[in-house]
Amino acid sequence: MNQQSGPSINAGGSGMGFGAPPPKQDTEYLCADCGAKNEIKSREPIRCRECGHRIMYKKRTKRMVQFEAR
Amino acid sequence: MPDGSSRTHKKFRSTFDTVAREHAFRHPPKDGSTAPILNEFVTPHLESFNALFDDSGLPSGDGDGRGLLSLGLKDIGERVVFDGTGQLGTESGQGGWGNRMSIWIDQVSIARPMVPEKDKTATERKVYPTEARERLSSYRGRMNIRICWKIHHQGEVERSITKDCGLVPVMVRSVRCNLRSLSSSSLVQHHEEPEEFGGYFVINGNERLIRYLILPRRHSPISIIRPSFTNRGPSYTPYAVQVRCVRPDQTSVTNTLHYLSNGSAMFRFTWRKQEYVIPIMLILKALVSASDKEIFEGVMMQDYTNTFLTDRVELLLRSFKAYSLFTGNQCLEYVGDKFRVVLGLPEDWTNQAVGIWLVEKLVLVHLEEPREKFRMLLFMLRKLYSLVSKECCADNPDSPQHQEVLLPGTLYGMIIKERLEEALNQVRSQIAMDVRKQDPSVDFFDNRYFNKVLSRVNFDIGSKLSNFLATGNLVSPTGLDLQQASGFTIVAEKLNWLRYISHFRSIHRGAFFAELKTTTVRKLLPEAWGFLCPVHTPDGSPCGLLNHLSRTCRITTTPLKVSHIPALLIAHGMTQPFTPSINGSSNLCVQLDGRVIGWARPGVAKQLAQNLRIWKTEGKHDIPLDLEIGLVPPGLVGGQYPGLFLFSSKSRMMRPVKFLANGRDDMVGPFEQVYMDIAVKPEEVEKGVTTHVEHAPTNFLSILANLTPFSDFNQSPRNIYQCQMGKQSMGTPSTAIQHRTDNKLYRLQTGQSPIVRPELHNTYAMDSFPNGTNAVVAVISYTGYDMEDAMILNKSAHERGFGYGTVYKSQIVDLKDARGAIRSSMPSLHFGLGGDINTREGDRQHSCCQFLDMDGLPFIGTKLNPGDPLAAYIDDTTGRTRFVKYKGDEVAYVDQVRLLGSDAGDSELQKLHVTLRITRSPVIGDKFSSRHGQKGVCSQKWPAVDMPFSESGMQPDVIINPHAFPSRMTIGMLVESMAGKAGAMHGLAQDGTPFKFSESDTAIEYFGDQLLAAGYNYYGNEPMYSGITGQEFAADIYIGVVYYQRLRHMVLDKFQVRTTGPVDPVTRQPVKGRKRAGGIRFGEMERDALIAHGTSFLLQDRLMNCSDYSTAWVCRTCGSLISLGYDDTSLGEVMLGGVSTLKAAGPSGEYCRVCRAQSEAEAEIARRSMATGEYLQKPHSQVRVGINSQHVLGRTVKGGDLDVVAVPYVFRYLCAELAAMGIAVSLEVH
Repeated sequence: MNQQSGPSINAGGSGMGFGAPPPKQDTEYLCADCGAKNEIKSREPIRCRECGHRIMYKKRTKRMVQFEAR
Repeated sequence: MPDGSSRTHKKFRSTFDTVAREHAFRHPPKDGSTAPILNEFVTPHLESFNALFDDSGLPSGDGDGRGLLSLGLKDIGERVVFDGTGQLGTESGQGGWGNRMSIWIDQVSIARPMVPEKDKTATERKVYPTEARERLSSYRGRMNIRICWKIHHQGEVERSITKDCGLVPVMVRSVRCNLRSLSSSSLVQHHEEPEEFGGYFVINGNERLIRYLILPRRHSPISIIRPSFTNRGPSYTPYAVQVRCVRPDQTSVTNTLHYLSNGSAMFRFTWRKQEYVIPIMLILKALVSASDKEIFEGVMMQDYTNTFLTDRVELLLRSFKAYSLFTGNQCLEYVGDKFRVVLGLPEDWTNQAVGIWLVEKLVLVHLEEPREKFRMLLFMLRKLYSLVSKECCADNPDSPQHQEVLLPGTLYGMIIKERLEEALNQVRSQIAMDVRKQDPSVDFFDNRYFNKVLSRVNFDIGSKLSNFLATGNLVSPTGLDLQQASGFTIVAEKLNWLRYISHFRSIHRGAFFAELKTTTVRKLLPEAWGFLCPVHTPDGSPCGLLNHLSRTCRITTTPLKVSHIPALLIAHGMTQPFTPSINGSSNLCVQLDGRVIGWARPGVAKQLAQNLRIWKTEGKHDIPLDLEIGLVPPGLVGGQYPGLFLFSSKSRMMRPVKFLANGRDDMVGPFEQVYMDIAVKPEEVEKGVTTHVEHAPTNFLSILANLTPFSDFNQSPRNIYQCQMGKQSMGTPSTAIQHRTDNKLYRLQTGQSPIVRPELHNTYAMDSFPNGTNAVVAVISYTGYDMEDAMILNKSAHERGFGYGTVYKSQIVDLKDARGAIRSSMPSLHFGLGGDINTREGDRQHSCCQFLDMDGLPFIGTKLNPGDPLAAYIDDTTGRTRFVKYKGDEVAYVDQVRLLGSDAGDSELQKLHVTLRITRSPVIGDKFSSRHGQKGVCSQKWPAVDMPFSESGMQPDVIINPHAFPSRMTIGMLVESMAGKAGAMHGLAQDGTPFKFSESDTAIEYFGDQLLAAGYNYYGNEPMYSGITGQEFAADIYIGVVYYQRLRHMVLDKFQVRTTGPVDPVTRQPVKGRKRAGGIRFGEMERDALIAHGTSFLLQDRLMNCSDYSTAWVCRTCGSLISLGYDDTSLGEVMLGGVSTLKAAGPSGEYCRVCRAQSEAEAEIARRSMATGEYLQKPHSQVRVGINSQHVLGRTVKGGDLDVVAVPYVFRYLCAELAAMGIAVSLEVH
């Protein structure tokens, strides 16, 4: 629910006018077949540059992932 | 498979082979498989599929090595169409048909799965099954056919065109699969398990397989007594002889011979789901134009003293006189004339040609020669008469003796053949329609016209097959001679390894029998010994219908070389079949695959059978080992019809046993086994009687049943339960778990190799897929929390990871199906975060950035709560970002995110597969079981300090109640406990193979000695101390090590609670179903209980207050619930004007509309009568007094006398529904 309302508030707050293109994405994926790193930008076809394979895995995040251990 | 190596007396020899196993897992063999036996047990799946192709790699047998598809094409033949240009009576046919075009399919090919040509970049052109699984697509290869046509005209030659038939699903590891004969290490390279054995299809990312189905044994006429046959028409009797005949392309036709009460017989067959019956005489004559004498002699076979037979045959011959058909040609013409319309053969064929075609294609189709068909029909007729005269008994069609298996590849081939035939028929009918409509474009000599016709015909056979595999539904105009049209395929669930492998060995009796009221088909018959496992069948509705093949049971798939057998037998004393004057009463019929190859006296037949058996076991005279030699001995009146029946066909069940005469391996089939003497153990061999001995006494059990240790100590139902629970336990479903996309996968994190395991555990490499944990189990009633099969878990054991499991769930995000998607080439939805999302870090950052990366996909490792965003996408049309939420009611972690491209790798990201990991630590209410059908629910996680301990300070991991044993008699579990304890102490992998111990050499003794050697009590019990008081228990406690499985039934998936929640909009009662947060029905019987107890408040609470409590206004006058009306009293009551405006109503203006209307009408009448001065005479029937209501004391205008009552809402609904039907419900209010 809050996701639905969230954007509008956000958009209103910072203003649609800031209209900057979506920030540069460092989108590197791993080929499911050969394991090569592939940089696939948004709206580019899903295809490995090395072997032409059609499945990519998302890399594990570099962000800290921390949970409360209970 | 023979591994009947007798157990050397155990001298602490076996180990766990941990190092070797570890090595094998790290370095899978580069040649061959880690566990070749696993490949062996899916061979029927694979080889039957391979048999479709010309390059199957199977031996050619008697045939020319062509695949079933090629043979099917030959059987389909050609279709003929005329262009109608001819003149009547000219050379182009007396019907004026014109040019004759014949069309046929010449070739069919299925390629290996390949990357489409469109994709230029892929370096690996082959597609492997793992890609199909991961991309949720199907594993398919392209199918092409060459369609040929020729016009019968001077100078015309054959023309052909190749036609694409779409992508056909291909069986994994078959001859058309890219994984074919890869070694374990290459399999691992292709993201498969090292043990991958194939045998299934990948359809939309699911692994589906065609289940074995039991069919009547081919080429074996069985006699049937079925009372329902009498309903077929006048003079039909319950007697019949039925035979299922199979063409070389494995399609079958069932022929039945019905006995009529007048002594003759009717021949029944099915053509396009329609049944037809023909007098047998017509067929006999049409086949070989037999004279009456020939038929008489053929049936009588010198047995002239048998008046029963002579009478019948005389009647048979006499009754046919009515047809006045004397020669074979007359009969053929007669048959052809009658069936011309039905069969749809070329118009220019003569009636005789049609008759010949019918006899060839529908009568005993396994035989080519009419003479052979004739002989076989005579045999069937003799068998029928002997059934009627009670000389022989009816055969049991439920017995495996008369059954064989429908193999996946065979069914697949039948469907392909039928689809091709259908396509060809469509081509024909398209042209025929054009001709009929006198379409000007019709030009037989123009290739373009033909191509145009082809383009109008649906050749997409691939999608039909995909649909068949995805649904299991058979769409077929002929029915394929099968009894069911659905339920052919199942999903090979990888819940755990045991369940997975069981799918490939399961064999179903047929959906038809599931609805049958009688339970005879479910019975376990002695004939099934060694072929179907008596233990491994589910309990409940599919019990006995869904069986599993025994471990050593094989299904023959290779064609055998048997064409030389008749000559060989003749050389050894068999009489030739065409010899005249054979005495039928003293000779036995010798048949090879439903073909009469000769006759022999009983003694000779017995000798022949014995010779054949010796030859086949020793490989002499080229007799194949898989030949089945069914000698049904004569002399038993009322027994099975005697004869020597040889079977060499495919899809028979066969199993290996040892032939005592020469110590060789012999293969035995269910038909012959009935008449054989096979000892289970060598000790049981009886001189002069026993001919064979089992390789191992456990061979009659399925793989799963074999894995229960000491199952011979258990009461049999417990072993059945274990076969069920083994398949439901959380285990290791796969070792390639990272490459799997199953909807739901259960994984036990702490799987162990069982200490006590049968030998076969190693044979089948079960250690690669551990299915449970070794637990120290004490049998003691300790806390009171172990009543009724509850078990207590040691909290410390739990904290060390006992039974810790994980569930992997898949969530698929497909933007193609999302709201706002445009069905065009360019997608309008794209994964990512749009400009409307503030991604800059800080307070104003959008909340979704905790979960989602810039590309709109979730971070791997993110913890998701129900409702958290899982992915984001931008809608081009609105420019807004939308979110896909995690639906599910548990905390999950993102384990994997898979970006799925398109087939050709040319489209942007539209489909996502997210693997979610849900942790499932054991909690109270989770189900566990030992391997002996002893299941229980965890009732407490008891703190370790309070657990009882032994003298050495050991605490149990699990406590179970002693009451679990007396009634269930699972002694195997007690023995396992002892064996496990001794094995743990000595570091031994204990052998738990059943039937190893005897009365003189008991298991207790054996393991007791081991325990004694380890310093324990002989019987496995120990003094123990209470964890709470520290006092020693009065009794010694039985404690040992038992392998425990954690079952997948967990409270987290099951609990259902509700206080308030959603209600049904119509009845306002709580909805049903856990998913919808509904309630559990408080039903009639529960209601009865409350009534019986007199707990009226509870009753009221359950059925009213907690359900659809509602208050309603009811009219005291008329008792109606539905006539409530409201006066607007918001502005205060209007009391102006005359009294007539005064209206009675409730506190907020409620009134009864019926009563008010009635009283107003009455008042009106009264007023009118006062005005005219007349008293209207009321009819007497209406006992109403016409007094103005205002004149009644204490009464105002009627209709205001309402009361509030509490009623169930559904009752009001009922009243409304009844009112709609014109029934008024009146409530009496006191």
